[in-house]
Amino acid sequence: MGVDLSVEILGLTFKNPLVLASGPAGFGFELQQYLDISRIGAITLKTITLNPREGNAPPRLVDTHGGIINSIGLQNPGIKEFVRTIAPRLKNLKTIKIGSIAGFTTEEWKILGEEMDKIKEIKAIELDLSCPNVEGKRIWAKDEELTQEAIKAVRESTDRPIIAKLAPDVTDIVKVAKKAVNAGADALSIGNTIEAMKINIETGLPVLKLKTGGLSGPAIKPITLARVFRVAEALEVPIIGIGGVMNWQDALEYAMAGASLIGIGTAIMVDPQAPLEILHGIESFLRQKGIEKFEDIIGIAHRGGF
Amino acid sequence: MIEAELIEKKIAKDYGFFKFKLHKKLKSPDAGQFIMLKALDEPILAKPFSIYSYKNKNLTLFIKRVGRLTGKIFSSPIGETFYIRGPYGTPYIEKINKGRKYILIGGGSGIAPLNFFSELYPELVYKKLYGFREKYIRELFEEEEQSTLVIEEESGKTVVDIFREVYSEELGILACGPIPMLRNLPHDSYVSLESVMGCGIGTCKSCAVKTKEGIKMVCKDGPLFRKEEIQWEWI
Repeated sequence: MGVDLSVEILGLTFKNPLVLASGPAGFGFELQQYLDISRIGAITLKTITLNPREGNAPPRLVDTHGGIINSIGLQNPGIKEFVRTIAPRLKNLKTIKIGSIAGFTTEEWKILGEEMDKIKEIKAIELDLSCPNVEGKRIWAKDEELTQEAIKAVRESTDRPIIAKLAPDVTDIVKVAKKAVNAGADALSIGNTIEAMKINIETGLPVLKLKTGGLSGPAIKPITLARVFRVAEALEVPIIGIGGVMNWQDALEYAMAGASLIGIGTAIMVDPQAPLEILHGIESFLRQKGIEKFEDIIGIAHRGGF
Repeated sequence: MIEAELIEKKIAKDYGFFKFKLHKKLKSPDAGQFIMLKALDEPILAKPFSIYSYKNKNLTLFIKRVGRLTGKIFSSPIGETFYIRGPYGTPYIEKINKGRKYILIGGGSGIAPLNFFSELYPELVYKKLYGFREKYIRELFEEEEQSTLVIEEESGKTVVDIFREVYSEELGILACGPIPMLRNLPHDSYVSLESVMGCGIGTCKSCAVKTKEGIKMVCKDGPLFRKEEIQWEWI
């Protein structure tokens, strides 16, 4: 029996529910040498800002128990260079491309939305409202009014589907999610890394140059999973579940909690081939359970299980 | 990832040689390249290690004990399985001027890629200088390597001091070791940088180094750079 892994949301057909999350996959080209990206449902490209950014000084990454903390700091060439040199190459990535943008002001969100809208290959735009790794930058998703403001600005600049990437560490994520949807978000990514730090007890100093960074990996999975579950319970909106998916079991948990698509971030850094193993595992599980369509298990935890 | 079985180890305090039998061949590894090595569970990420030697699926690493993963490698029994992928990074030979002979200057575990270089390109090597602080390190090395060791505790001189005594301008310099050591070398040296890496393949942007041509990645653009192209104040 064949298993249908495809997912239809946002007017798009994803061949399977896996999305390479924004960041660890870069713009896909370097990763392509080590992973056949055409086998993955979608790739969310590295976040682009209005102006080029060098990112933070090193060290930018540290292992901690159950996860890693990074403070890359949105290193990217800026929207102009992205449009000029990267966008024309995107057709070589044979999967759905989701653009990712981060504004520092409402005006910047608007411009970034307009520029992304000009790129044919970009099928949806994710708003990175929740990166905790930029000094002095507002984490838009920690304030529901700011979330709304950013989404409205991008909504006015494009008709493409827009995905709001929310922060998992807020007081009430359902409240923020509702505001995001009311402001025009077509889908939600839940979530992002969580502000975290590590101190070297020999030097008595923070390990990361920026002092704090964002925690990802297995440690955050149960936290983000709960947020996905709660938002899926309260709202009818497609959700991309992201946070600590290291294997196929993790991916299935997100789907069962209500995520239509599942983002893979840290696991790609550990092993670029990891997404293929995850896909294989999902497929075998569904076959064993006698389930023909992946979409049938989305949100099953809300419907009394199997 | 490729399974790598630990088949031999030789340890002296915080340094050691570790030989792994790989279950699959590495794709033409060259000197200066590194592999990403991972234990089954903790820590989460694989970490980069320069290749010290590679022959017939046997991979030798020269490792200093510094953190959780290296601690685990040191304490693992023979027969333990690790996982590796690679090789990654640009081979030294693709970056250096091949018309010169080189003094190889290593500090601590930085001697690893230099050793592999001297195995593969002996005709390009003028002299090897392997610097360490304490003399216990001698017990790890065979008789024929003893004269390459420069030990501060014995001579009161650092590897850079000895380098200055033997250097002449027609020679090239190829170095790998701690940042203070690299900083003390002449401007036209080739220096191999160490960095905290995430992916090892150029996508995650963890191992950034600022150069005169902008931000580069140690994993993909390096690990070898010309000393003069690096903005050292950023490191």
